[in-house]
Amino acid sequence: MLQKTDSNATWFVVAALGLFFIGGLLTTVAPPLLDKSWNKPFENTDPAKGPTGKLVGYTDQEMRGYRIYVREGCKYCHTQQVRTLQADTIRSGWKGVPAPVSTPDEFVNDYRQTFGTKRTGPDLARVGGKYNKQWHAAHFRNPRDLVPGSIMPPFPWIADNPQELDDLVAYLQTRGRAKDWRPDNDYEK
Amino acid sequence: MAVQPTIASAPVVAGQDFHQDTTVKMFLLGAVGYFAIVGIIALIIAAKFVWPGFLGTISYFTYGRMRPLHVNGMLFGWLLAADMGLAYYIVPRLCGVKLWSEKLGVATSILWNIIIVSAIFSLLGGYQKGLEYADLPTPVAILVVIAWVMFGVNIFATIATRKYQQMYVSTWYLMGTILWTAFVYLTGNFATLLPGVTGVNQANLTWMYTHNAVGLIFTPAGLAVSYYFIPRASNTPLFSHKLSMIGFWSLAFVYVWTGAHHMIHGPISQWLQTISIVFSVMLLIPVWAVVYNFIATLKGQWHQLSDNISLKFLMSGTVFYLLTCFQGPMHSLRSVSAIVSKTDWIPGHAHMAVLGTFSFMAMAGVYYVVPRIFKTTLHSEALANWSFWLFLIGGLGMFTSLWLGGFWQGWQWNNPAIPFIDTVVALKAVWMVRFLSGIIIFSGIVLFMFNILSTAIGAGQRQTIAQPATAKA
Amino acid sequence: MNDATYVSVYFSYFLFFLLACGAIFFFVRSLKDGYLGSDSEEPKYRMLHDDEGDLPTHPRRMS
Repeated sequence: MLQKTDSNATWFVVAALGLFFIGGLLTTVAPPLLDKSWNKPFENTDPAKGPTGKLVGYTDQEMRGYRIYVREGCKYCHTQQVRTLQADTIRSGWKGVPAPVSTPDEFVNDYRQTFGTKRTGPDLARVGGKYNKQWHAAHFRNPRDLVPGSIMPPFPWIADNPQELDDLVAYLQTRGRAKDWRPDNDYEK
Repeated sequence: MAVQPTIASAPVVAGQDFHQDTTVKMFLLGAVGYFAIVGIIALIIAAKFVWPGFLGTISYFTYGRMRPLHVNGMLFGWLLAADMGLAYYIVPRLCGVKLWSEKLGVATSILWNIIIVSAIFSLLGGYQKGLEYADLPTPVAILVVIAWVMFGVNIFATIATRKYQQMYVSTWYLMGTILWTAFVYLTGNFATLLPGVTGVNQANLTWMYTHNAVGLIFTPAGLAVSYYFIPRASNTPLFSHKLSMIGFWSLAFVYVWTGAHHMIHGPISQWLQTISIVFSVMLLIPVWAVVYNFIATLKGQWHQLSDNISLKFLMSGTVFYLLTCFQGPMHSLRSVSAIVSKTDWIPGHAHMAVLGTFSFMAMAGVYYVVPRIFKTTLHSEALANWSFWLFLIGGLGMFTSLWLGGFWQGWQWNNPAIPFIDTVVALKAVWMVRFLSGIIIFSGIVLFMFNILSTAIGAGQRQTIAQPATAKA
Repeated sequence: MNDATYVSVYFSYFLFFLLACGAIFFFVRSLKDGYLGSDSEEPKYRMLHDDEGDLPTHPRRMS
């Protein structure tokens, strides 16, 4: 057997692909079939089960903003996931209210996943409704004006383009809003 | 050594012109050039961490566009191109036949250059696909697939006409690379774009790709290179052919399962996380089998490291491989992941894998191969030695500063009393060290490139001087 | 997120069992075929000499 994979290229190819496909199929094709929450949009009306709310699709404007987010590679520094760590829920929280943990059903409409691998800047999973448009405009022009010590690059070509700025802010305001998690409902527009 | 007589009586079957090696030359020189070009981009983005306004007001040079260029440029422009060039060198020699089609090889090399150049412009223009490691826009990704098929056909056809039936380890690893890469690349670049593949589902496919881009593309390619050049450069037979088999087949089975460990604690099914953790820990099996084989090969031969530049790179690459693949399984564990995940530890880990391990192995191959295919001697052994120490010192400076910084950052994040911006400011010293280490690494790249290009360009002049050395056989 | 942790644990045990069986099977088969002798180590010696004429090396590296 071993000799065959060693001396016969056809045997080798079959064995190498066979072993690869066991794990390959079970970890890519099987999970979405087993875990329905990967493809079913979030919806909850029962407060006993956690935050209520409903995941709605992106509007055209939000979609344009989403494309800008992808174009500028924002996800290379900003993750979008509140992990099952207490510190994450508190850091993503607002005014003393911890943010709910991110679940797969909140991301069903994302045409490009933006979970990210590196958190150079803060997590954006629940940034929607935290800052108003004026804040974002000033922040994109020069982040250090508002947050001394920040190393975020300035984005003058977005801040100077009213259309792009509106679109991008509209997208950011959707982040984490599927779940109504702030009891005062004090979300910025 | 008992085997020395075998080497001395090695039959010289054909003349030096048996292998044409045009493809090898084109791939390797191109790869070395891109290494230096992308090295500049690496320095710029390291500088952006220290001086965030640096080149910041021009959209083409903003961090979010330069980082994918750095990643893709290093992975595809330098490392994969170098590994492919070395494969064109290794496989015909192991099979005892000529490369199946030199013309196809040259065409592949030209296409590869077209891919890299179009990648540079499209990524800086913001035409990124938005998926990590698969940032190249779809038309370019299609070209990559075509080039890969051309490469695969050429290598497999060479193997099919081989003179010796039983294959050497490097041949398996290269065949594995070609087969797995095909499917891994299709998954990451095309399956992710299928309609209905969104959110977590897409992320799962992306992690399957990004993880296996390293695990099933660069690992087998880098190991193929090491399995060939460690015995060749030290003139010592490999410790064990059978042990290498355990390493290879366990790699083939285990690696592909681990993608979801990029989302430990994240919004992905817990059971999938558990599976990925279990298999990540099992990765120790292929890694230790390989590392033991390499280390045992050099038993009694370690003195050769003092004046053999290829061996220096290969063996330090082996040590980095052991370290990086110990880190990998360890920070898949939930408790460790809670601290290091998403911090600067991760770039430290990734750079030890791609720069410290696989680039070291590829550079060893380039230092070994280029003088031979140009039938000359290396331009300067001293400069090569300098490049090694610059890479090693710069690399260690970068890895260790990022690990320590990342660990510290992770502890700070887990204490919500510390505002996030304070954890950013705290790391500025670390990023400064990283930038300075980057300058050292870049000097190493420049010396490496200069040495290799001088060897290639000056080949004609030194050829006559080098002739007497062939009397060795 | 429905948690199937326990199912996955049993699945893993099952998989490891299959894996162990497969490994033992291949090992025994190869042993029977007489593959695990010294003959199988031949490629590692052969790869040290190929069809090229020997190469010019740095003078110090010649032995």
